[in-house]
Amino acid sequence: MDYNVKIEEFEGPLDLLLHLIKQSNIDIYDISILEITNQYLDYINKMEELNINVASSYLVMASELMEIKSKSLLPQDKKDNIEEDDEEVSREKLINKLLEYKKYKELTPTLKELELKRKDIYIKPPEIQTNYVDTIKNNDDVTIDDLLQAFRSFLDRKEQEKPLLTKITNKEYSVKKRKANIKEILLAKKRIEFSELFDTVNKPYVIVTFISILEMVKEDTINLKQDKNFDKILLELKVK
Amino acid sequence: MQAVLEGLLYIQGDIGLTLQQVMDIFEIDEDEAKNLVLNLKNYYEQENRGLRINYLGNTFKLTTKSEHRNYYQKLIENPKTHLLSSQALETLAIIAYNEPITRNQIDEIRGVDSSYVIRRILAKGLIKECGRDDSAGRPILYKTTDEFLDYFGLATKDDLPKIDSLEEEDTSKTLNDLYQSKYSESN
Repeated sequence: MDYNVKIEEFEGPLDLLLHLIKQSNIDIYDISILEITNQYLDYINKMEELNINVASSYLVMASELMEIKSKSLLPQDKKDNIEEDDEEVSREKLINKLLEYKKYKELTPTLKELELKRKDIYIKPPEIQTNYVDTIKNNDDVTIDDLLQAFRSFLDRKEQEKPLLTKITNKEYSVKKRKANIKEILLAKKRIEFSELFDTVNKPYVIVTFISILEMVKEDTINLKQDKNFDKILLELKVK
Repeated sequence: MQAVLEGLLYIQGDIGLTLQQVMDIFEIDEDEAKNLVLNLKNYYEQENRGLRINYLGNTFKLTTKSEHRNYYQKLIENPKTHLLSSQALETLAIIAYNEPITRNQIDEIRGVDSSYVIRRILAKGLIKECGRDDSAGRPILYKTTDEFLDYFGLATKDDLPKIDSLEEEDTSKTLNDLYQSKYSESN
C-alpha cells in the first residue's frame, strides 16, 4: 500500500483514525479494532521511518489501541466475562469519541465558508471621539477582557501604520573583527577601561564584545587588571 | 431619529450598536428600538445604497455589501487575509457548542493538547474566560464572544449551524429531565 505521509494534515490521532476509517470505506460502527490498530501502527511506523517527529499524543492512541487489541486476542475464558465486556466497552468508548470528534470536524468547512463570506464585507473602525470627551471616563467595572480588547485594537492600529513593504537588515558583528578592533584601540590607547568597550548598547554587540575579550585573554594577548573588588577593570596589551 | 441612528452607526463603526444602546440613547422601549433599526435597514435596501445595516455578534453595524466585494478588491492592493487554521476552527466549534467548557474537556474531544490554539483564539478575542469550573483544580472555563459571532458573520448564537446529533442529545436531556421531575413528583 502506498502511503503519502503528511503528518501536518492531521490535527491529532483522532483525525488520523477518522482518515484511516474513511480510506478503508467502513462505517465507524463496524470498525474492527484489529484492522484499525494494524493500519494505525503501520502509519505511525511509516512516519518514524521517514524521520517525522511523532507527537506523543499519537503514541498514546497507539498504546490504547494495542491494549484493546491485545484484550480481544486473549483466549476468552467463559468464567471471565468481565474481561470480554471490558474490551467491548473500550471499543465503544473509542467509537463514541470518534463520533464526537467527527461532529466538530465536519463543521469546520462550514465555519471556513462563513469566515470567508464575512471577509466580503467591510466595516470601518469607530470614529475617534476625543473631541467629545472632557475627562477620561473610568468605570469601575473594567474587566481583563476590556484590557485585552484595548491592547488588541492598539496593535491593530499599529499594524495599519506600518509601511506596506519593509526590508529588515541585520547588522552582523563578528568576534574576529571586534578582536582586531579592540587590539587597535589598545595599541592606540595602551590601557582602556572594560566598560568603555561597550559603547553601543545592543545585545549582539555586547555579546560579541564580551566574547572577544574572553578570547583575547585566553589567547594571552591582553591582560585584565582589577585592583580591588568592584573596582574598574582595566585592559592592556600584553607585551611579548 | 432615523438620521440620528444613521450617524450613530457611522460613529460606532465595527463596535456597532446594541439594541439596549439604541433604547437608552433614544429613551424608547424595545419594540420601538427594533422598529427604528428595521426602518433604517429597509430604507437602505429600498434606496439601493452602498451600505447595509447588518446584525452581527449581537450588535447592529453599518457594513458594505458582499456583492460589491470585487470592486473593493481592486482598490486594495494587498488582499492577503489572515484566516484561522483548521485547528482553531475545530476548537472554536467545540467551544461554541459546549460552552462553558474547560481546556481539559476540549483536549478530551480533540484527542490532542489544545493549550496553544486556545491561547491563539483567546488573543484574537474570539473566546474569553468566564469563570472557573467547580471540579478539581478549578480549571478556567471558556466561552465564545460576540466577536466570534461577528467573525463568522452570525447575528446570535442561534445562527450557528445545527448539528443533528447535538439536538438528539438535547432531547434526551429534556426527556431525562421529564423523567426526573416525574420521579420527584411521585416521591
